[in-house]
This record gives sequence, C-alpha cells and structure tokens, in this order.
Amino acid sequence: MGDVILTMKDIDKSFPGVHALDHVNLELKRGEVHALMGENGAGKSTLMKVLTGIYKKDSGTITYEGKEIEFHNTREAQDAGIVIVHQELNMLGHLTVAQNIFIGREFKKGFGIDDKKMNEEAKKLFDRMHIDIDPREKMSHLTVGKQQMCEIAKAISHDAKVIIFDEPSAALTETEIDQLFKIIRDLREKNLGIIYISHRMDEIKVITDRITVMRDGQYVGTLITAQSSKNDIINMMVGRVIYEDPKTHSMVPEGAPVVLKVENLNAGKMVQNVSFELHKGEILGFSGLMGAGRTETARALFGADPKESGDIYINGEKVDIKSPLDAVKHGMGYLSEDRKQYGIVVQKSVAENTTMATMEEYMNGIFINKKKEAETAQSFVDQLATKTPSVDQLVVNLSGGNQQKVVIAKWLTRNSDILIFDEPTRGIDVGAKNEIYKLMNKLASEGKAIIMISSEMTEILRMSDRIVIMCEGKKTGELDIAEASQENIMNMATREIN
Amino acid sequence: MDKFKENSFVKKVGFNRIVLFFVMILMYAFFCVVTGGKFFGMDRVLSLLNYAYFLGFLSLGVTFVIATGGIDFSIGPVMFCCALISGFSLTSYGVPMGLALVISVLVGLAFGLFNGFLVAYMSVPPFIVSMASMNIAKGIASVFTRSQSVSWPQSAGAGGWYRNLVKVGNIPVGLIFFLAAAAICAILLNNTKIGRYILCLGSNKEAVRLSGVNIKKWEMLAYTICGLLVGIAAIFYVSAYTTVQPGYGDQYNNEAIAGCVMGGTSMAGGLASIGGTVIGVLIIALLQEGILALGFAKDYQLIITGIIVIAAVYADVVARRRKN
Repeated sequence: MGDVILTMKDIDKSFPGVHALDHVNLELKRGEVHALMGENGAGKSTLMKVLTGIYKKDSGTITYEGKEIEFHNTREAQDAGIVIVHQELNMLGHLTVAQNIFIGREFKKGFGIDDKKMNEEAKKLFDRMHIDIDPREKMSHLTVGKQQMCEIAKAISHDAKVIIFDEPSAALTETEIDQLFKIIRDLREKNLGIIYISHRMDEIKVITDRITVMRDGQYVGTLITAQSSKNDIINMMVGRVIYEDPKTHSMVPEGAPVVLKVENLNAGKMVQNVSFELHKGEILGFSGLMGAGRTETARALFGADPKESGDIYINGEKVDIKSPLDAVKHGMGYLSEDRKQYGIVVQKSVAENTTMATMEEYMNGIFINKKKEAETAQSFVDQLATKTPSVDQLVVNLSGGNQQKVVIAKWLTRNSDILIFDEPTRGIDVGAKNEIYKLMNKLASEGKAIIMISSEMTEILRMSDRIVIMCEGKKTGELDIAEASQENIMNMATREIN
Repeated sequence: MDKFKENSFVKKVGFNRIVLFFVMILMYAFFCVVTGGKFFGMDRVLSLLNYAYFLGFLSLGVTFVIATGGIDFSIGPVMFCCALISGFSLTSYGVPMGLALVISVLVGLAFGLFNGFLVAYMSVPPFIVSMASMNIAKGIASVFTRSQSVSWPQSAGAGGWYRNLVKVGNIPVGLIFFLAAAAICAILLNNTKIGRYILCLGSNKEAVRLSGVNIKKWEMLAYTICGLLVGIAAIFYVSAYTTVQPGYGDQYNNEAIAGCVMGGTSMAGGLASIGGTVIGVLIIALLQEGILALGFAKDYQLIITGIIVIAAVYADVVARRRKN
C-alpha cells in the first residue's frame, strides 16, 4: 500500500426526510482494495455518488491527490481519474462491445468513426485483462457476466487512478469472479486505489485490504481485513450474529401434491423442452450459469414473453397462460431479478406499489379505499421490516433491498400460491438477505410453492428442497437437496458447454 | 421557506401549484394595470372565461394521455371536427339541438377510441397516431361539411338554448361545468383504479404489466377519456363562438398541452395534476386575452404559447433531473 490518494472527511448529505450521510469518513490508499460495507440503506451508494459528482454534498471535504476537490458531474470525476463500475449495467445493447467502451470519445477518421481502431484498442484492453471477448460482438448478445467485464474494461480505459466497484460480483459466475479478482489484483499491482462495494463476506475476506463499515448513514469504523473475522465485520454492520447452515434434506412433506407441472416448454433458443414439477410447500431451486435460460423459462411460464409450445398444468388442470394477467389469475407471482425495470414503479409510493396486483380488494365502489390500502402496506412494512419513513414515501427514495421488500409485499398481498423469485437477494446485504430467506421458508411452510432462481451456490444449497439445473437453454439435471453438492451442480451446469 | 413547504396543506396542494396560482393573480393584476383597468370589466372576464372553458376541457383530456407517457396532437382539430359534424347535422339535416350535442361527444369519443386502440393494442407510437388522426379529423370534417364553415344559432332563444351553457346573462355558468368536470377528473385520477393504473403505467409500464394488470385496457381508456372531453370541449367552443371553420384547430393543441404541462403534469408520464391543469389553462386564457387587450396581433399569441410550452417542458425536465 502506498500513500493516501483520497480522503473523504465528515461528509454530510440530507434528502427530504432522510439523513442519508451523517459525517462519514473514508480513506483510500494507492495500491489498496478498500471494501465499503453496510446494510441496505446504510449510505454506501450515496457516498459514492457524492464522490463522483452525482450528488452535491451538504458539508465535509474531499481531498484527492493532495487537493481539495468537488466534482459537479461524473464526467469531471472521470477526467480526474475516478471512475465507477455500476451495479446496474449501463450498456447500449444494439452497439458493439468496442462502441460501448469508447462511447463519447470515439476515434475519428475524417468525419466518420474509426471502428477498426476502436476494435483494436478494445482487444488490447481485453488482452490486458486476460479475457476473451470479441470487440465486434453486439453487446446484447453477451451474457450479463461478460457485459460486466466490458463495463470494467471501460472503466480501466479511462486511465483511472481510483476505480469504484459497486457490487461487481452480483451477476457473475464463480469463474467470472475469479477472473474479476485477477483483474483487481492486477490493478492493485499498478498502484490504483480500489473501492469495492459488496455484500459477499467471502469475497471481502479474499480480495480486500481494509474495510470501512457504514450503518444507517453513519461511519462505524475501519478494519484491517487480515486482522478481522467474518463475525467482527457482521457485528459492526448489524450488531447481531446471523447465518444458517445449508439444508440437508427436503422439508416438503411426503406426498405433497403437484401444484405446477410444466411439460416441454419451448421459447426461443433459451428455453428448449424444459419440463419440471413443483410441489406444494416446496422451494425449487433453479441453478445454472448466467444465460442458462432460467429467467427466460420463468418469463415464458409467467406469460411475460411468448412461448412457442409446451403445456402448463396448475393443480392438475391444463391452463393457457398468454400474459402475466393470466398467470396472476392462476395464482402465480413473479419477482424479477431487475426490480427497477420490472418490479417497481419508482415514482409511486410504497402503498401504491404494494397494492398494484390487488387493486380490486381496495375498492370502495369505484373509489380506492386509501385508508385500507395504507393499513395493508403498513402491515407489510412492519412484517418485512422495510425501512421507510412512511408508506407514502416514493419507492425511488428507498434503497435496493427495501425496494425488493416492497415487491415481495406486492405478491404477498395477492396471496399467490406459486411464487417465482428470480435472484431474490441480488444486491441485498446479509441482514436483509436473512430476513428474505426466513420469509421464503415461512411461505413454503404455509404451503406456497416457490421457484427460486439463483446464481449464488450458497443460496441454492441453503434454500432449495430440490434443484433443477439448466445450461444453454436446456434442463441438464435435477437433484434432491440430500444428494446435491456444489460439485455435482456445477458439473450439470456446464454439461452443454464444450 | 422549507417550513412552509412542509406544511400539510402546502404538501397536499403542492408547492408549485401555489406558486402558479400567485403567478396567475399577478398576471391578472399586471394586465389590469397596463390596460388601464379595462381587464376589470365583466366583458373581459367573460371573454377570458369563454376561452378557458373549451381549452380547459381539451387540457383536462390531454392530461390523462400525457399521464400515460403518451401525447395527443389531434385534440384541437378533433374538437373542430366534432363541432362541424354536429353543427352541420343541426343546420343542414335538422337534427334537434340535444342530439347534436350528443353527436359532438360521440365523435370525440370515436376519435379517442381510435387513437387509444392504435396506441395500446397496435403499439403505434402516440406521436404518429395523433398526427395522423389530426389530418383524418380535418379531412372528415371538410368532407362532411363540403368545406363550408358552420354557424350554430346565434341567439340563446328556444333554438339556441345551448348558448346558456357558457353564460346566462352575465353569470358565467360555464365555470360551474368546467370546475365540476375538473373535480370529477381529479377524483378519477387520484381516487380510482383508472387513475392509479394510468399514472403507474406512465411511470413503468413493464412493472405494471408484470403485476398482472391489463395495461392495454387502461392505456386505451386514457385516450378514450381524452376523446370524450374533446367532444365536450367542442360544445363549449361553439357555445362561446358559434362559428367553426374546417381545416383549423391546430393551435389549440399547443395551448392545451401548455396548460397541462405548466400545471405540473410530466411529459415523461406518471405525474399529473388536475388542479395544476386548471390554473395552467386559466393562465393561457389570460395571456391570450391580455395580448389582445394590449393591442398586439393574434400571431403574437402563437409565439408566446410556443415559448411557454418549451419553458414548461424544460422546467419539468430540470425538476426531474434534480430529483434523480
């Protein structure tokens, strides 16, 4: 580790009704990987937004390379050498990889754009990162994991001195994470300062040098990773010890009826002849690599995307699901992996989002019974421990994990019998994760049938009663939790890949 | 100031609405002073209100469409189409007055259904749909009336009772209809399923669809409500001015949209305020009358409303940027 490159001192920031940052400190050295940890709503993202000029701080100082600075937008921060790799991908699907990386600073050739040179430069970047991506490929054809790699390549290409990774591993497979760590170590060698935001304790232990912990917008403390245990960190974050062991056997009662049967479902390349059964009270894990076709299967099943063929039986009866409307009518609920785009209406309140799928129950003639609506929303806020000043708060002002809880509340009000959780804890911290796991277990024990798509092996092994494994749009295996292990799941998940 | 903003009444009504209200009062005072008190006269007030009624109905209608994130550039010409078809039926085919008014509403409704169907079920962009139906409306009106202008009955006597809809003597009864319609629209938008879904799908259509909501139905309904209100707007237009000419109406698109956006309805969809629309419309009407009273040509009205639309939309963009 070298000298200090960046110091944020006494940073304060308030939004109407929320004191988002309360005198927060952060110190970053050259050649250091510094973890920034905290529960949902702890203020990590806000702090980074203040640093990169997206938000204006109310008070406090930022010292960068010995000078006090304040950026007014991300462009200024970028030019100064501070770049951020976002948690949510900011890529243009219809452009090529190289065009995305060099967007806004294209190489010119006369009046035109020099695509050839851009491809060459992008190739050089990828070679440096030891990853194999064709710069001429359309961005939308890449898996989420590879898109993330491109985002990192873009950050590196800015000649950065400080790179912020905002939950980079949330969408990556194990091998991709290994690759990512190689890249990060490489950057550390080159004396860059790296801020690493993640919820994954194991990664933090492996890759970071120091850890700064935040809680409820306040600075809790900074630890040296090598000298602190997992429990130290968690205690600092939440002040209580959590964690559960993986399931060892199925919790589904013997002879539980089949509530959902899918036969030979087909929908494009990503869903080929998928068949499976789901029992009452069961959590059926869907495991596989990014782009294995799990989300596509769920969307086709839910009627969100058109399906080509296949039969769906609910409680033994053949049903025709053409749209989400049909699916919801048949008692299904879908929690998307991308809640901002598919889950919530950000400009509306917690209450309005909660009752979105069950409006009819809150009607008084033609009028909405707002009192009843607010009461229901409040009861779910209490039940799920959603952090919000009130149910009238706009969802846009909540943190990611709390937004997820609002989406869960939406389907719980509907009392759906079949729930599809697509990456239910993506980008959610340990504390909230545990609450969501508990909730899913409770729902299953109450007789709901749950499909859980997850890219996190620990999550799959901890939650599932049975596991369906997919690869390249096909179902490649099915395991009872008693016989499942990380190894045999991975084996099946890569069966179709040469 | 912050304390004022946190006040529960201010929060409910909206700080921007209150500012806008005072802008309106100030503008009225300004015109009163510069015209040497002419603006105080009942004539001016009635004439101003005449303008506000039909424009108000248009603006209320388009508020629903804009709330879905759509746009409707056909409202002005469709209003004229309604007035022409119903008026021609009245004057040339001897249709009774009551039926003529119903025809006007039905024509508006038909256009609303047509636009809504194309946008919601056929996924044609609203911009294209409304541009096309603007021309269709003009064309139909011209064909129907053989390109002749239509004059509705002048006097408010037995054959012209419809004129009592805007005023009886010097009493502006039109105001009652307009405010009642606004109140109904406000309830529709804020307290019913229709409004809830319209606003939600304007904000994030896909999330609403995945909640199992029939978004096509609700989106189409927004255009249908708009069409209905445009049909009513036509009645108030002829009640105030009696004569309609085919081939016109475009300028009212801008004015109605300006009133709506100025009142705080976001062009991006998802946010709408009926109270804001009412004040916005009154400001536009005030401007039109004010400019005339100051002795400027009508062309200046066009320039000024054009600028207002841009300014209001820009203010909306800035406000949203600050929020994000």
